[in-house]
Amino acid sequence: MRRFFSAVLEQSNTYSEAFCTEPFEAGWASEARWFIRILDASDGAGIEAMPQVSPDGLLWCDDEDRPDPVKLAGNAAEPVMVSFKQREFGNWLRLKVRLSGDQPKVKVLIYLALKE
Amino acid sequence: MERAFTRALRSSDTTLSRFNPLSRILFVNDFDNGTNGWCELSGNHDNNLDNLRTKARDLRPPQLSSMTFFDTGTHGSIDGTYAMKLATRPTPGHMSQAIKRFTYAKRGAVQFEMYFTFKAETVLKPSGADTGNWDGNQDVSASSFGDFTLSNDVGEGEDGERYHCALRYMNSDNTGKLVQKWYYKTSVQPTTKMERNGTAASPVDYHVINPEDWEEVPGGHQPLCYNEIPTKANWHYLRWVFDTETRRNRELQVNDLTLDLRDIPVPLYEHPYWGCERLLNFCLDVRTHTNVRNFLWVDSAVVSVDW
Repeated sequence: MRRFFSAVLEQSNTYSEAFCTEPFEAGWASEARWFIRILDASDGAGIEAMPQVSPDGLLWCDDEDRPDPVKLAGNAAEPVMVSFKQREFGNWLRLKVRLSGDQPKVKVLIYLALKE
Repeated sequence: MERAFTRALRSSDTTLSRFNPLSRILFVNDFDNGTNGWCELSGNHDNNLDNLRTKARDLRPPQLSSMTFFDTGTHGSIDGTYAMKLATRPTPGHMSQAIKRFTYAKRGAVQFEMYFTFKAETVLKPSGADTGNWDGNQDVSASSFGDFTLSNDVGEGEDGERYHCALRYMNSDNTGKLVQKWYYKTSVQPTTKMERNGTAASPVDYHVINPEDWEEVPGGHQPLCYNEIPTKANWHYLRWVFDTETRRNRELQVNDLTLDLRDIPVPLYEHPYWGCERLLNFCLDVRTHTNVRNFLWVDSAVVSVDW
């Protein structure tokens, strides 16, 4: 039986500026899948998310497997959700999230699904 | 004869021999095997997360941690690689809490045992930075670790009582002054029901109505092993016994300190709770008082009962 754990890293939190999800240790997992869901957004707002890796949970760099950030517009057709995967990430994971649009404001759910 | 045989069998088990369980073991959790049902605590809501009360949201998922640090790499757990880690956000007053949910078959003694360690996150300094008054022994990060709390949630049902026992180790206060004492709480934990019916305001401290509703446990001054820097983690043994018959704590043992808790009052709710029949929950949390993440690691945890 393969081990699995799903973490809710952003639990319906609202942001009006760039943020990073909290560092999460996932060294036991070989697969990671992110789910980002926009629950609410100001007009024209969206997000650009870049998965990052770290040797220590303190210093971070972009995952080289994803040259461009994943984009999600707040006014897209339902469901307003995007998903993407990461592998060979070492131990530490986080998302660096920038907001797009004029004076953007977004309310997000971010899940990290991990499997051994 | 049966007790001696049980003791011999348990002593031959390399995990159980670290513990001293009561007659019936409810669970043995080694975090090399997953999170074992310890999960993020959440307050109540009506399927709309906007209605989570402020203090009972964003309590952070537990992590299976290899205890990997910037200076020496992976520390590892007692056995194997992983321990369960609770991590706060780097926000003053933020708390992370994990819960394991049970019910009870009979009232009586319940014993929670664990090995734990705790740290404030490393704050890196640039090369050549002023070392200030660092004496090579006491690190400023020790003052950046706030507190951690053991608690339960016991519900007897609609015709019975509900209460939370809570024991807090306050490492340092919100000014960073080292306190290093055990505390017990003197008021109930405000609930979603209380906030919605107006009998309690949104609390500053999750566990109590007013943040000052804590008293020192007599004899509860106990410096724990910080071991000088934030990347050396030393395991401590903890054994906490509470009694669902008397609705009291019985005792707390942490390493060589044992505190008699039987005379310490445990606040009861004045009103009943629906749907909490024979509720028996175990909770662990960690709280930072500054803009530095605080961590609590557990490896392993054993709960046993006398029924």
